[in-house]
Amino acid sequence: MKEINLDVLRDAANRLLFDMSDEEYRTLLEEFGVLTRQMETIGRIEGLEGFEPMTFPFNCETDYLREDEPETPLAREEALRNAGSVQDNEIKLPKVVL
Amino acid sequence: MSYLDQSIREIHRALVERKTTPLDLVKEALARAKANKDNAFEMILEEEAIAFASTLTEPEEDNLLWGIPYLAKDNFSTKDLETTASSNVLSGYKPLFDATVIKKLHEKKCVLIGKTTLDELAMGGTGTTGHKGVTYNPYDPSHQRMVGGSSCGSAAAVAAGIVPFALGSDTGDSVRKPASYAGLVGMKPTWGRISRYGLFPFAPSLDHVGFFTRSADDNAIVLSALAGRDDMDSTSSTKPVDDYAAATPANLSGKRIAVIQEIVDSVTNPDLKASFDRSIAALKEAGAVVDFVTFGLPELQAIYPTYIVISCAEATSNDANLDGIKFGPFRGGKTYQEVMSNARTAGFSELIKRRFVIGSFALMRENQDVLFLRAQKVRAKIVAKVNEILENHDVIYVPAAPGVAPMIASSSDKLSNEYLIADNHLALGNFAGLPSITLPLTLIHGLPVGINFMGRAFEEKELLSIAEAFEQISGLSGLSTQENKEARL
Repeated sequence: MKEINLDVLRDAANRLLFDMSDEEYRTLLEEFGVLTRQMETIGRIEGLEGFEPMTFPFNCETDYLREDEPETPLAREEALRNAGSVQDNEIKLPKVVL
Repeated sequence: MSYLDQSIREIHRALVERKTTPLDLVKEALARAKANKDNAFEMILEEEAIAFASTLTEPEEDNLLWGIPYLAKDNFSTKDLETTASSNVLSGYKPLFDATVIKKLHEKKCVLIGKTTLDELAMGGTGTTGHKGVTYNPYDPSHQRMVGGSSCGSAAAVAAGIVPFALGSDTGDSVRKPASYAGLVGMKPTWGRISRYGLFPFAPSLDHVGFFTRSADDNAIVLSALAGRDDMDSTSSTKPVDDYAAATPANLSGKRIAVIQEIVDSVTNPDLKASFDRSIAALKEAGAVVDFVTFGLPELQAIYPTYIVISCAEATSNDANLDGIKFGPFRGGKTYQEVMSNARTAGFSELIKRRFVIGSFALMRENQDVLFLRAQKVRAKIVAKVNEILENHDVIYVPAAPGVAPMIASSSDKLSNEYLIADNHLALGNFAGLPSITLPLTLIHGLPVGINFMGRAFEEKELLSIAEAFEQISGLSGLSTQENKEARL
């Protein structure tokens, strides 16, 4: 398992596109100490060889295809209604290529 | 007694006989909501509810939910109504559509009178972490005790007698634990039984729609309205839906009930232990065969770490769309990454950020095998054990919580070294996707505490029948702070 320190946690947070205060990172580091001990209980479970990682409680077989009927798409004003930065009927963000 | 405090069937009869009207019920529910001091509401929909209730003038005899007021946790999408999941990252967000459950209840002519508080993004179990602050337990007017979470506002409102039922969501125990602390019937049915379309996802392999009522029969009526396949949710089941509302109290004679020994052993509260023992004796007297079974201590101790790894990892991925661009407050920035980072840094509370980092850490390439994939395998092993027990038993029966609602001052949103199986075992139902229902067991010094039955997949009707039989033993059907009841156990 990757070593845990403040830099690793800061990097993880920044990859998730948010930041925290120094104090919050310290709290998180302490929490990881607890978490690591709790993870050891997972590590102690024996006889996992016969088990596949469980991603959902049941297999859901969905073979549904909707009818090929025309639908009215979301109106542009509706789609943009919750966006905070809109210009000329488009969501406006800073330039990607400068 | 006000009609609002009666069972859904009794209210329905009064509506059909025109002794009351949806408008009368809604006005009373709104008055109680506005007078309530438990911080249970994100918003009260006075104008909308009165307008809709005013249109309901011709009672529908065959529709038990016609004109019944209700509440929804604020992580269910409601068209044109702000829906924030008690998080600042979604302030101002007005969904463009209704969640399927909201739509179904509208079609049943139920009247939504408000949206309730939750732990932020449903990621918590105390009812103390939403952006509106702490939600209190109505059984403690001094406001020192939590009602539990994450569906805290819905639990508080039903317990306070504001509405006969309220929607919640349950990823680890977020309906069934608060139900215990609030003296309510709280159910999450089988994974896939109710559509999750429009419910903000937390951890989709564990998320369920759930609901609070004051009796098992009311619970069955609500489930009948909500269950069924929905093409908008590919994980919803195509299995036929039973007539849950037709469930009657089970004859317990010969029913096989499994009690997990280690869970009972981990309860230290002497009043709860004694009451639970009395309930076992009463179940046996009613003819049930009660078997104490062992589960395996290491597996039970692994429930919470397994839950934390899986739920945080799934949440980290699911909530990547909360970026302040398409919805939620836009906070500007020099680059698009900075736009997202500014929105997320300001929008999420510290707790949510910590959970996301844990999830991200579990998913890192170096850690996936030992954390995420291992947790998923442990989950599979735990589920195999649950299903093995249910091969020979109709239900698993356990205390729903280690005691009455804890003091708020003792709660913490940080991970703790103290680990109590009795506080975490309800996640078994989420791991296995099995139907699970909490009911009031007794009152300890005036505070309720509950038990939990878990049944086989898609056998909700059987589970509800057993729950109704249990209510005849406990005598606590219809409990709320408006309705004092004598505990028998």
